[in-house]
Amino acid sequence: MDNGTDSMLDMYLFETNSLMEQLDELLIEAEKVEEFSTDDVNEIFRIMHTIKGSSAMMEFTSLNQIAHHIEDLFFYIRENGMDSIAPELKKSLFNLMFKSTDMLRTEIEKVENNEPLTENIDNIIGEINSFLNKISNTSSAADSPEDTGGNDGPSVAELNMELANCPDDDAPFFIKVIFEEGCGMENLRAFMLVNALQDLGLPFRFYPDDVENNSASAQAIVEKGFFLALLEEEHIEKVINTITGTSHIHSYEVIENARLKGAQAEGDPDKAAEAKPADTVKDTPAPAASTSPAEAPAKQAPASRAHSGPVKQSLISVNLSKLDALVAIVGEIVITESMVTSSPDIQGLKLDNFMKSTRQLRKLTKDLQDLAMSLRMVPVSGVFQKMNRIVRDMKQKLNKDVRLTIIGEDTELDKSIVDGISDPIMHIVRNSMDHGVEVTSAERVAAGKDPQAEIILSATHTGSEVIIKVEDDGYGMDTEKILAKAANNGLLIKPESEYTKKEILGLLLLPGFSTNEEVTEYSGRGVGMDVVKRNVESVGGTVSISSELGQGSCTTLKIPLTMAIVDGMEIAVGQSIFTVPIANIRQSFKVSNEDVVYDAEGNEIVKCMNEFYPIIRVHQLYNVETEVTNIEDGILIWVEASDTSYCLFVDELLGEQQVVVKPLPSYLNNFNIKNSGISGCTILGNGNISIILDILSLYEMAQY
Amino acid sequence: MSEDTKIIIDDDMDEVGEIEVEKERFLTFRSADLTFAVNTKYVIEIITNHSITTLPMVPEYIKGIINLRGQIIPIVDIRLRLGKPSIDMENNESNCIIVLDIDSISVGIIVDSVSQVVDSELSKISPVPVNNQRELVNGMISLDVNNVVLLLDCEQLVDTQTI
Repeated sequence: MDNGTDSMLDMYLFETNSLMEQLDELLIEAEKVEEFSTDDVNEIFRIMHTIKGSSAMMEFTSLNQIAHHIEDLFFYIRENGMDSIAPELKKSLFNLMFKSTDMLRTEIEKVENNEPLTENIDNIIGEINSFLNKISNTSSAADSPEDTGGNDGPSVAELNMELANCPDDDAPFFIKVIFEEGCGMENLRAFMLVNALQDLGLPFRFYPDDVENNSASAQAIVEKGFFLALLEEEHIEKVINTITGTSHIHSYEVIENARLKGAQAEGDPDKAAEAKPADTVKDTPAPAASTSPAEAPAKQAPASRAHSGPVKQSLISVNLSKLDALVAIVGEIVITESMVTSSPDIQGLKLDNFMKSTRQLRKLTKDLQDLAMSLRMVPVSGVFQKMNRIVRDMKQKLNKDVRLTIIGEDTELDKSIVDGISDPIMHIVRNSMDHGVEVTSAERVAAGKDPQAEIILSATHTGSEVIIKVEDDGYGMDTEKILAKAANNGLLIKPESEYTKKEILGLLLLPGFSTNEEVTEYSGRGVGMDVVKRNVESVGGTVSISSELGQGSCTTLKIPLTMAIVDGMEIAVGQSIFTVPIANIRQSFKVSNEDVVYDAEGNEIVKCMNEFYPIIRVHQLYNVETEVTNIEDGILIWVEASDTSYCLFVDELLGEQQVVVKPLPSYLNNFNIKNSGISGCTILGNGNISIILDILSLYEMAQY
Repeated sequence: MSEDTKIIIDDDMDEVGEIEVEKERFLTFRSADLTFAVNTKYVIEIITNHSITTLPMVPEYIKGIINLRGQIIPIVDIRLRLGKPSIDMENNESNCIIVLDIDSISVGIIVDSVSQVVDSELSKISPVPVNNQRELVNGMISLDVNNVVLLLDCEQLVDTQTI
């Protein structure tokens, strides 16, 4: 892994790990009731879909493959419902799921530790596939699922034993101890371990058995490891305790004697078979069949301790509510600071030292505020860069000539929002690559387009929201096809002829809709768009699709800025003080009566830069008493929000200030205050409250 | 009850029932010549002389919002809420704001004056006669002879349905 992809790897690990955590929690909860709800199935499907996609992107084949097969399995379950699975199979489904997630986890750990990934994953995939076959073919459900476990177990274990170079011994358990690389004198260290174990008074044998007097055995230990052969299962724990207490031990592994076990299993197949699935359930992180389950967690703990590389530590996750609290407190500090420094008690006094200290304080609070803010704000470039990689990989796989143009990647968004839109954007870009762009460049040339297709990914600030667009110049959406497909899937709720184009495109966002019959590694199955919609809505945004057949399509995500601190312009209207976000202000100017023209209904209009804009008088709109009613006495502020532009008439400008946005009390939501042009409020330096205007909704409200 | 609450505790309330009776404490206040009682579990504090920032586009009885140590609290004028004429804030020395926390919704109510805190057995709370049902009242407590107070229905005060 070269340095360039390090941050991507960080992100991948962080994301995948949190998904795995989610999955674990879900599985454990679901197992309690021995049932997956529809939501669970969808969720697992989504998690696997994401892991599949991002692993493919990072070229972690084993992860990709496992996730892909689990996805297939859950695709079947989603289609046929949980009820289609015989009750006795459900248990093995859980076992299988736990086993698979363990496998995924082990692989992720290897990625973290920069170790090569397991190349041969046929075993687990075979299990998933055979399970899928089993449930999809209910007639063969009679095959007891335990058989697979029983038969597979020993063979895998045996394989592992060979890999581990287990010595010839008929003890049922081995512990393979590996010393830290380059610690030297391995034979003596092994002997010390043997001595320590002998103190326990347990029967055991060790290999190589000549560590005490043969210094050449050190080399053998380095190469193959040092083996302890135990006779009783209950001794393992004690031995492990001793091992973990010994220094210079890199890792150890408990290995069941598969040759012996295989023989046992033949004699008593039921017992061996039953033991297996039951155990795997108990211990989630059991990495593979090679370790006996009870020891698995113990084994993993020291291993990861020894390994924990730099990859893991460069990112920590902090509860967002803590950050919120931090930002709120910093906001209070900023306000209090200006309350102290501009306190009326010290006005007119000449306090040199005091002024010096307050200047310092102001600078520090400013730094603190910037820092607190920067904690939450991240550029979207991280997400956008991920798309580069996706487009590149898909270009090769699908053999399409596409270039990705990224615009505005420096646009900053709240961290939680960036996380929330990463998946949706990935889905949309994949959809564009897969279904949007023409299959061959000849097709494009025939349609009179540039042979190279283009996908434009852009982010722009528009004051109160960030607009993220994914545009492609491919086929465009065929509304008739969409309608037919939606009708097929039973998604229509009124006669086809009554659907407007906008509504038809809206159908794409419904769950279970997909225009592409084929399922590919990257997209299809319609998992994309409804998930996109859900994710974007969960951060308070909206999704819309526009498209011209033959010209391409454009998916627009409108993401609100839940910024806690904004630059605002304080304005006065009568006794009230309002804050207008600086981002919305284009210009402020004085006008004379002659500049104002009237439309047919007597509304005031003013001309700026050769365009006419309506004037909204804040004092009239909000019924504020003021002496400034003559347009020449007050001042006009030309404001703009997305595609709305108009002028506000206010008494005077009080000055620019950074303000901490506070939401209005929830009680006031009863009065539809959100739609009355108010987005929140803020506390000024003197403790008074200023109301923050929402330029967009203020205009909409003024229309009624 | 928060410790900075400034209320005069009525001394007459010392007598303790011999048998364990369910008692609750109520803060009584006057508004438009009526005496109301509000359960003290809702009361956060009583404040005076707070400058209220008026809000546009809300019903008249929402007087605005105040900044209470960094917390934004909406203010309801109980008189206006009950359909009575508003009091003259300037000329009334005793009026104050009772800050309530009702199911974690904070709201301040403007009242003419606060009177006292009383303990009352739950059994002494009687329902309002059907014919006399009115907004924001969900019971009556008779404290002693000639002294009946109306129990303020806090849930209804913040209930979205009835607004």
